[in-house]
Amino acid sequence: MAVDLNINGKRQSVDVDPSTPLLWVLRDNLGMTGTKYGCGIAQCGACTVHIDGVATRSCQVPAQAAANKQITTIEGLSKDNNHPLQKVWIEGNVAQCGYCQSGMLMAAAALLKKNPNPTDADIDAQVSNICRCGTYPRVRAAIHKAAKMAKA
Amino acid sequence: MDMNRMEMNRREFLINAAAVGGGLAIGITWSDESSAAFVNPEPWAQPLIPGTVEFTPWVSIGKDNIVTVRVTSPDLGNGIMTQFAMTLTEELNCDWSKVRAEYAPANRNLKEKNVYSQPGGILGYFSGRSTGPERTASLLQVGASARERLKEAAAQSWGVPRAEVEAKNSVVSHKKSGKKLTYGEIAEKAAVIKLDSEPKPKDAKDWWFLGKASPVKLQLPLITNGSAVYGIDVKLPDMVYAALMQSPVHGGKLKSYDFEKVKNMPGVRGVAVVDPSEPRAALDPKIVPFPLGLSAPQSAIAVIADHYWQAKKALEAMPMEWDDGPGAQWKNDAQVVKAAKDALDREGKKIEVTRGKPLELLDKQAKVVEGTYYTPYCDHVTMEPLNGTCKVTADRVDVWHPSQHSQQGLFVTAHETGVAPENVYVHQTWVGGGFGRRVYSDDIRMVAAVAKKFPGRPVKVIWSREESMRQGRFRALEAAKLRAGLGADGMPVAFHVRSTGGPGKSVRYLADGPHASGMIENVQVESDIIPLNILTGPYRGPGYNSNSFFIETFFDECAVAAGIDPMEYRLKLFAKWPDKGWTKCLNEVKTKARWGRKLPKGWGQGVAIVNWGMGGKPEHGTTVAAVATVEVSKQGVLRIDSIDIAFDTGRIANRDAIAAQIEGGVIFGLNMALNEQLTVENGRIVEGNYHEYPMLRIGDMPKRINVHYGGLSGHERMAEIGEPPVGAVGPAVGNAIFKATGKRVRAMPFRLQDLSWT
Repeated sequence: MAVDLNINGKRQSVDVDPSTPLLWVLRDNLGMTGTKYGCGIAQCGACTVHIDGVATRSCQVPAQAAANKQITTIEGLSKDNNHPLQKVWIEGNVAQCGYCQSGMLMAAAALLKKNPNPTDADIDAQVSNICRCGTYPRVRAAIHKAAKMAKA
Repeated sequence: MDMNRMEMNRREFLINAAAVGGGLAIGITWSDESSAAFVNPEPWAQPLIPGTVEFTPWVSIGKDNIVTVRVTSPDLGNGIMTQFAMTLTEELNCDWSKVRAEYAPANRNLKEKNVYSQPGGILGYFSGRSTGPERTASLLQVGASARERLKEAAAQSWGVPRAEVEAKNSVVSHKKSGKKLTYGEIAEKAAVIKLDSEPKPKDAKDWWFLGKASPVKLQLPLITNGSAVYGIDVKLPDMVYAALMQSPVHGGKLKSYDFEKVKNMPGVRGVAVVDPSEPRAALDPKIVPFPLGLSAPQSAIAVIADHYWQAKKALEAMPMEWDDGPGAQWKNDAQVVKAAKDALDREGKKIEVTRGKPLELLDKQAKVVEGTYYTPYCDHVTMEPLNGTCKVTADRVDVWHPSQHSQQGLFVTAHETGVAPENVYVHQTWVGGGFGRRVYSDDIRMVAAVAKKFPGRPVKVIWSREESMRQGRFRALEAAKLRAGLGADGMPVAFHVRSTGGPGKSVRYLADGPHASGMIENVQVESDIIPLNILTGPYRGPGYNSNSFFIETFFDECAVAAGIDPMEYRLKLFAKWPDKGWTKCLNEVKTKARWGRKLPKGWGQGVAIVNWGMGGKPEHGTTVAAVATVEVSKQGVLRIDSIDIAFDTGRIANRDAIAAQIEGGVIFGLNMALNEQLTVENGRIVEGNYHEYPMLRIGDMPKRINVHYGGLSGHERMAEIGEPPVGAVGPAVGNAIFKATGKRVRAMPFRLQDLSWT
């Protein structure tokens, strides 16, 4: 069955069982592997994308439910690593293995969009992704830095 | 290019490491603003671009003036690629933005007689640390030798002495004549230059880049835009997907299954059964880094489909039955824990260390201290679940894999498929977390075992998170009983350790820490293994991660029994150990954490100091001291205010990379101490996903993790930093909890302990 998806501003029709999680449609059907599989039960956040601007764990969204909504993935965060978060992420040597970081960045980007000047408590509440390498202190510092950059 | 001459040159580079000569590059600077060295989204070795000249298998220079450095160890987020590139740059004097890294192919290593694994031996070279002495020395030599050849080639072209030629920022130049060439322009001539003697790399004190520059990891831009290709991201023409299920009880066997029931489900193409009793290829064990038995195949079944989701759905729907085998005797976790603790009442089968008269003297001392400790099974829970992609044909196998040891992976694949090792190609992808899980290559074996049943097409095999967590090679369960007799001054005169646990447990640090290596005069360390069926493997700081907790909690108990402040107790104890780094680290955290300051009720500070990699010797390995400052509510809710860390690796190569590894190591240590535990029921691992195996999140972080550099002794070694921090954190927190509440925590994870107080 065809499902119409609008991903990073591009409309495409995918022939897929409509109950397939958006995560796997992105990864296997469309080859957009920046969005990661970590747990499959909305615990870890590695699969975070934006759906109509809201950070969403794509492993729990059937493709059908995302049809005709605005989906943004890590590949759509910027054209050339020029999103403020991507810049501070590189400068701050934030990532270690990097596997969770697309989800982390997407959660942080959604937070900054809604709340350009988040407190530590805001970050704690909105960026609940799991990172096994322990990059949290640098993630927090980078979000604050990006917020400051946007204000300057 | 004359291949024989090339070969000669390579050998000279690798062999003539002790030669003298060579110029000293001065005046090169590096700034954070420089654009960085780089790496491809697909990090495995790429075919040489025409016009590229290979100086040695480690380094080539292209007409585009790009220097390619080949990296043997996979970068797991620890910055190994960056470190290799930095070490080469130190001597090659190349422009940092013109350096590209890629992985050295294990297949080439095999065909070219261990060209990548000669220095350091076959075991070390495709895994592990980036700053080991042999590796550092050989890369510095490669850089220096290539640099002098570039200079000599330019000197010959210009008819000037080499001594007048400077090599800097990827340009050779002659000041008097103003002549200049890029490395790329002179590379072809340089690669066939024969030098009278190989240059000697400069002294560490003259380094301009190592220890001075602190570049970020090369792969960061690939991570932030999602383009880095991890194993699970590999895309190949005609690829199919497999979902895998192994015997839920380790060592059990598949009894029956009914593929007919699922074969008409969408996308389903086939089923693959992995039978451990099928014969495997014969392979000379001498050429394999780790014993092949460590990657023994497990009985398993996989469904193959066009897409992973289809394969997973079909696997879940397929009826199957398992013969659990002897592992099922372990009915519940209490039975397992009891078996481990009961074994502590018997003398250990193996005496690991005995020195002086520990048993005779122990009970005669003024005070006897005793404690029994326990750490459970833990899984690495790497964020990237286990996976791999493999294409098997009759005469060639290709594997794209997030390996932690591609050389081991090559041999395991050959063993599993029966294809000769020379015809096995392992393409090292980015790795979504390792921590020891992907070393033994049991994962690559299962991938190959499935793919060989579906030959001719690439098969991507993915473990679900549940499969990944329950089919781990876990940190071994361990229990230990420690006893000490304290003399009149409160210090240990005799020390006795008994350690037990499942297969795979280790006495690392327990049997080779300072206490067992001469600091205490009378010592005995015994160990025993109980026959648990659960599979184990290396897990960040193998053995050390449990044993550090035992030792450092116990020393805290000794300090309390002696009535001496725990920091002062350790300063007194380690003053006897001939390695000043220990007291330096203790004094650093003592000052920086403001040890002993007045704290509110319910707060406490705890200290611990341990060493990873010392092997019984002073001035070896990495010493780490931690002070934890914690708050425990009356209800027993633990909050960690801060962790202060001091360390002694001797010297360091990249300051910020060190800080990143320590921060991550502290958080890893916190997870281990506070959260992690796998339990056993009827021989199966109960926990399958993060809701049952909680991980700290950003909101659970200590307010501060402070990394201090004042513990560095300046000793010539550059010991590793990835594993060491995990040992110091748990006991420091446990000791702080005692200070705050009066309750001694002797078992991990702490979240299951009642910490309430009145």
